[in-house]
Amino acid sequence: MGSFVVKRLLVTVLVLIVVSIISFSLVHLSGDPAVAMAGERASPEQIAEIRKAYGYDRPFHEQYLSWVGRFVSGDFGRSTYLKEDVGPVLARHIPITATLGVLALAFALLVAVPLGVIAALWPNTIIDRIALVLAVAGQAMPSFLSSLALIYGFGVMLRWLPVSGTATWQHYILPAVALGYYAAPAIMRLTRSGMMDVLKSDHVRTARAYGLSPWRVVLRHGLRHAIIPVVAVATVQFGYMLGGSVVVEAVFSMNGLGNLAWLSIRRYDVEVIQAILLVIAATYAVLTLAADLLNAALDPRIRTS
Amino acid sequence: MADTSLIDGASASISAAPAAKPMPTPGQIALRRMARHPGFWFGGIVLGVFVLAAIAAPLLTPYDPGTQDLARRLAAPVWNSAGSWQHPLGTDHLGRDYLALLLYGARISLFVGFATVLISGLIGTVLGVAAGYWGGRVDLFVNFLLTVRLTLPVVLVALVAVAVLGQSLPLLVLVIGGLLWDRLVIVTRTATQQLVGREFVTAARAIGSSTPRILMREILPNITSALIVVGTLELARAILMEATLTFLGLGIQPPLTSWGLMISEAKSQFLFRPWLIAIPGTALILLILAINILGDALRDVLSPEGRA
Repeated sequence: MGSFVVKRLLVTVLVLIVVSIISFSLVHLSGDPAVAMAGERASPEQIAEIRKAYGYDRPFHEQYLSWVGRFVSGDFGRSTYLKEDVGPVLARHIPITATLGVLALAFALLVAVPLGVIAALWPNTIIDRIALVLAVAGQAMPSFLSSLALIYGFGVMLRWLPVSGTATWQHYILPAVALGYYAAPAIMRLTRSGMMDVLKSDHVRTARAYGLSPWRVVLRHGLRHAIIPVVAVATVQFGYMLGGSVVVEAVFSMNGLGNLAWLSIRRYDVEVIQAILLVIAATYAVLTLAADLLNAALDPRIRTS
Repeated sequence: MADTSLIDGASASISAAPAAKPMPTPGQIALRRMARHPGFWFGGIVLGVFVLAAIAAPLLTPYDPGTQDLARRLAAPVWNSAGSWQHPLGTDHLGRDYLALLLYGARISLFVGFATVLISGLIGTVLGVAAGYWGGRVDLFVNFLLTVRLTLPVVLVALVAVAVLGQSLPLLVLVIGGLLWDRLVIVTRTATQQLVGREFVTAARAIGSSTPRILMREILPNITSALIVVGTLELARAILMEATLTFLGLGIQPPLTSWGLMISEAKSQFLFRPWLIAIPGTALILLILAINILGDALRDVLSPEGRA
């Protein structure tokens, strides 16, 4: 187990290094950020000044190394648009996206796990089929459309829920549904196949033979085992949601990380874009690492292969 | 079938069925299974109708999608009490015919989808086959690339890339294709791994076939069905990605039109004229649904062992 952990840690660090190089080069691909930052009416002298102030005149690898060095020490740079340090800006926006992500995942699990269990208990019945149809239909709906549909249905027609901003907890309901349902089909299918496998296993048959109540067998002896891969996938899905929240946040005017990323891309705020890309990638990397280690701890076959 | 080959006849006589029909080839079996699969019909027909409508767009509407007619702006569709057959789906905020926009928009969505899958398919197949065939260090390296790719938040990276590199149709295709190859790698890698140990590959090596020849003649033909299945599903993902980027304002730009752009431009109108979103939205959902169902049906038919 020890060497497995070390190996996985090393890979994660390597991946993050490559991701940081990609994020950095991507933003600098256009050539000279100074031209964009200076604005349309800037004189060549002003551009040269900005270039010097931000160090854009130095060789590429030097710029990258100094950026990474500052990043690791907690200095995320300074936003040229907001005229503010990036660290506090991120700290303001992260809680909104994190809350949204947690709620979205909770919604996905609440819908998908019961549906998956039911589909596994009665496979190839009408319930199983309906769950499958819901899954296929759900995957065909892009989140910007589901967001607009939810706004129209629950916000405009029924007037049940607020549709813009983050003032109260009710404001989070529709965005969480819009962001979360996309993960539900994957979780449902996994719960279903896991449950079907485990229901065929010896210990479940034994538990049944002992005369335990059917629900006790399903929940305590079945779901407990089937849920392990679901936890891993849910962790990864949470990472996806942080990146995917850009659409939902834009539609619902939520001032989270995704919306900040979108605005920063449009106003070419280099330091903020870089920081967000790396923060989201790092979160995803740490989450998958945690999911892998969790899986390995629970299933010895993974760490020996 | 009329084109009974010698081998079919031979295998039929080996199975010693008295006056039996010749054994069907795997291709014939697949075709028969497809004909019986409802998903194949639904997905195939809907996708076919969309492709034909996109190709035949000038025949289906007299309007040009770029022609603005401000006097007739925001006309209602024909099922609305205020609508007329002059503009069956109404007009948008600039007075452009909505049916024309929808038909010409389908061209862009489908073009981006197919072109993207060509690129991501090429990247995914090269990486996946290399990893599966050589294994060892090559496999580790490809796996590392895959992990890096999965760690990047794909929508954000695509947004940044399009914003930085400029917004053109070929670039959009390159960006999406350069990002969405992850599942293709996973599938082609597994499919190749399963082939490497098989007798016919060993036999090809034994008679001295070169590696490129083995890859092209033995491996590639045998992973085609897996590739078709995952490629179909990736087509849906690419179209969704284009629509999402365009919706966020960094994909297709006017004067081109796409369904994502129609939805994006109708945002401010949708409280009073929800059909402006519902029409392109329904088209998008229907197309994605059809492609996904077709992909699932192809998987059922071509590689039954791959079913979840």
